Amino acid sequence: MDALRLPGRVESLAAIGTYIVQVAAEAGLGEQAAYGLRLAVDEIATNAVVHGYQEAGGSGELVVKAEQTADRLTVVLEDTSPPYDPRLTPPPDILDHEPVVRPSGGLGVYLARQGVDAYRYDFIDGTNRHTFMMNRTQ
Amino acid sequence: MKVEIEEKAGITVVRLAGEMNSGTVDIVQEKLLDLVEPGCRIALEMSGVTYISSVGLRTLLLLYREISQQDGYIVLCGLTEMVYDTMFITGFLEFFETYETCGEGQFVLAQK
Repeated sequence: MDALRLPGRVESLAAIGTYIVQVAAEAGLGEQAAYGLRLAVDEIATNAVVHGYQEAGGSGELVVKAEQTADRLTVVLEDTSPPYDPRLTPPPDILDHEPVVRPSGGLGVYLARQGVDAYRYDFIDGTNRHTFMMNRTQ
Repeated sequence: MKVEIEEKAGITVVRLAGEMNSGTVDIVQEKLLDLVEPGCRIALEMSGVTYISSVGLRTLLLLYREISQQDGYIVLCGLTEMVYDTMFITGFLEFFETYETCGEGQFVLAQK
């Protein structure tokens, strides 16, 4: 699949979702795996737009590219917002608090990590590179 | 995202359909929070919700808090498998009551 290159704005996220649904279908992922992958990419891309670009007062692109081998579908998401390694975000405080006082942070990253078979983060030449991997042979 | 609101014998039935994500959630959140009043009873029918991300979950959490503070009740009905799973692994089902059908949800609310 050709790479998808979009402005780093909230309006771009729907197109990324559509792209992921399409590449997941081409790779023959099951419904649950496809949903998990889409959610993972959506959550990280949303963070890049909202926290990376908007809150930092910057702008830039989101680039998504999918590659498929015999046993794996790999999706790479790149943005040029400030370095952000989601692996360092603490897990959400899920069951330790009553719902009324429960903090809502960290949920997106948690969902992203849960949704994929493997995840990798690199910061290379000023670019955040998020790599999501799904096994095709379940 | 589609939001249909119907009052039925003191219970507010809200039917949501579509994707609950960063692009759609703001308007949904506004409509849902508008419904909250002291002692309200809300059945959120979600069988048409095909996708929910963390921003959607946050909206539900906010709604839950507002309703609890005003001594109201909310139940979720008809969750699809993927939405159910997402809510399960994030711990949301620890405090949201869920029912398979909207009829069951309304029946339970009518007893409150």
